[in-house]
Amino acid sequence: MGQSILVVGGGMSGVSAALEAAEAGYDVVLVEKNPYLGGRVAQLHQYFPKLCPPYCGLEINFKRIKSNPRIKLYTMSEVTGIEGEPGNYKVTINQMPRYVNERCTVCGKCGEAVEATIPNAFDYGLGEIKAAYLPHELAYPYRYVIDPSIVETEDGAKAKEACPYDAVVLDDAPKETIEEAGAIVWAAGWSPYDASKVEYYNFNSSPDIITNVQMERLAAAGGPTGGKIVKLSNGEAPKKVAFIQCAGSRDVNHLPFCSTICCLASLKQATYVREQLKDAEVTIYFIDIRAMDRNEDFYTKVKADEKISFVKSKIGLIEPGENGMLVLEGENTTTGERFKAEHDLVVLATGMQPNTDLSKIPADMVYDEYGFVQNAEGIFGAGTVRRPGEVHVSVQDGTSAALKAIQVVAGR
Amino acid sequence: MATKAYDKSFREEVYQNVDSGEDVKLCMQCGVCGITCPLRGEMTHGPRQLWSLIRAGKRDEVMNSPDIMLCTSCYSCKVRCPRGVKVIDVMHGLAHYALEQGIVPRKETSKFGKAFWDSIYKTGRVDETEVPMRYTLMAGPIHGIFNMLEMMDIGRALLAHKRMKFKIGPGLPPSKKIKGMKGLKKMLDKAKAMSPGKEG
Ligand SMILES: Cc1cc2nc3c(=O)[nH]c(=O)nc-3n(C[C@H](O)[C@H](O)[C@H](O)COP(=O)(O)OP(=O)(O)OC[C@H]3O[C@@H](n4cnc5c(N)ncnc54)[C@H](O)[C@@H]3O)c2cc1C
Ligand code: SF4
Ligand code: SF4
Ligand code: SF4
Ligand code: SF4
Repeated sequence: MGQSILVVGGGMSGVSAALEAAEAGYDVVLVEKNPYLGGRVAQLHQYFPKLCPPYCGLEINFKRIKSNPRIKLYTMSEVTGIEGEPGNYKVTINQMPRYVNERCTVCGKCGEAVEATIPNAFDYGLGEIKAAYLPHELAYPYRYVIDPSIVETEDGAKAKEACPYDAVVLDDAPKETIEEAGAIVWAAGWSPYDASKVEYYNFNSSPDIITNVQMERLAAAGGPTGGKIVKLSNGEAPKKVAFIQCAGSRDVNHLPFCSTICCLASLKQATYVREQLKDAEVTIYFIDIRAMDRNEDFYTKVKADEKISFVKSKIGLIEPGENGMLVLEGENTTTGERFKAEHDLVVLATGMQPNTDLSKIPADMVYDEYGFVQNAEGIFGAGTVRRPGEVHVSVQDGTSAALKAIQVVAGR
Repeated sequence: MATKAYDKSFREEVYQNVDSGEDVKLCMQCGVCGITCPLRGEMTHGPRQLWSLIRAGKRDEVMNSPDIMLCTSCYSCKVRCPRGVKVIDVMHGLAHYALEQGIVPRKETSKFGKAFWDSIYKTGRVDETEVPMRYTLMAGPIHGIFNMLEMMDIGRALLAHKRMKFKIGPGLPPSKKIKGMKGLKKMLDKAKAMSPGKEG
């Protein structure tokens, strides 16, 4: 059992693959680009269909990782080169500096000391955070990060001075490491499709047009509004909320495939709105609602709320109207009527673009027409780089990738 | 109780005989084409409903829909259709197919086409005064005058901007013919022999 398994991506798929392999007795190297694990799931407010906080599940996994000496973790790292063949890979890992070492106690003094702010990536750009920051409240590893933009400035010096534990390392530098592995699991996940590409939705014309991933942050207690769903234009509670399904999905000009989860995400987010705002009305504009297997019950439950209505129409235009309202135009394909409807908060249900479409694996791999990766002999895709899907499917897929990887390294 | 099955013959006909007719199969009935169309206020059905009617076998409604001749080929719907349906080709294909069968879904378009044709046939030019005059007068002399009066503001503006010449009536004064009129006529006659419609 000399060979290890290298897992790229620390979202639900990658974490599952790493844990399954390590708990079966194999050495694992886990490489994550962010300063924390959990992937996009860490940014969700609640899980459908049970509407429980995703952190329950994540924390259990982090405990398992922490207590397993077989897992070697690289954060803020990317794989830049893969050489060799199944059973014998040399993988180049490029780690970006964090400028904070393991002595950090998350006391927060460095954050207080610096003045510069940066866009909050964890909140999908809604709001700013200090340039010395904890990525989010429940981050694992639980440790501050200093943004490279302030390292050589006065702010950098202030952060160092403020730290009572000598945890700030301003001369931290990028590191290149080579790891040996017998098999590789690629679980680099997905990115939300860029809403501004669907030009007739005028995404940048109003702060009250947001994406579904931003809606998750708006509803989350740790988010930019402390969990209050408001219109970002004026901080007031919305009265008429619209969800636009297939925003840039199932469209030959954008993502041609169905992401399978955005109908459910909107159904879930409709419950966020109704939970908080008793008088708010929600309208979901759809081509067809895709809620498969056990999720159909969830759809039925949401449909029973009389303040949530469903209109069968792909919206063809969104434009700012009068009094801060947004005007939506569509053709109701049930009645045949062409309509204009006013809403004060519009959520674009964008789809999941595989990260393997945006940046390729540095090895000879085969991708389908949408950029989803296909398995090779010693390199296996896991989760949403293989097909779009919900969390429990990603977990299963991570497990199955771990098994394939074990079959390569077992007995070598 | 017996329910009448959809008449499948019409849609098969469209798939086979209409330009890009098979694209209708691609449509997922999202409604974007109808909303994208700049003529959405004028259209009775819009592309999506037409495709639906084709699938349901509603021959008369489709063949007589003015929309298939209203389409100005602006390409908006084609550019945005999420399924890549060649909407314009099908719209024009349907108009062509209707004319072939002697159906004139929208008299105005057809008359305008004839006025356009007559102008070219006479002088080799599309005369921007002649065509609308001939077109409006097709409604008969009295109606024609009223139609023209309605358009007077536009006409005046066009004259002021030198976009139109002044004329008292069609052919008064006559427009200059182009050189090589004979050759053009030959071509036009041949085209006419190939074209399906009764009204040119
Ligand atoms: C609006 C919305 C709401 C959703 N709500 C739910 C829900 O309620 N319930 C549910 O089951 N599902 C939900 N989903 C789906 C869920 O987000 C996905 O199933 C899940 O994120 C898939 O996990 P993953 O590990 O495959 O990808 P990711 O979560 O994207 O994780 C991939 C990880 O890889 C890292 N990475 C990327 N590139 C590299 C690289 N080159 N090198 C190293 N690391 C890299 C990333 O930083 C990330 O940590 C929702 C999706 C959306 C869009
Ligand atoms: S780096 Fe130092 S000052 Fe900043 S949070 Fe960590 S321990 Fe506190
Ligand atoms: S899941 Fe729903 S919103 Fe998402 S692409 Fe599929 S049909 Fe469209
Ligand atoms: S836009 Fe395309 S897919 Fe949508 S209804 Fe029109 S033709 Fe059909
Ligand atoms: S091409 Fe025809 S049907 Fe399509 S948007 Fe333009 S006018 Fe309307």
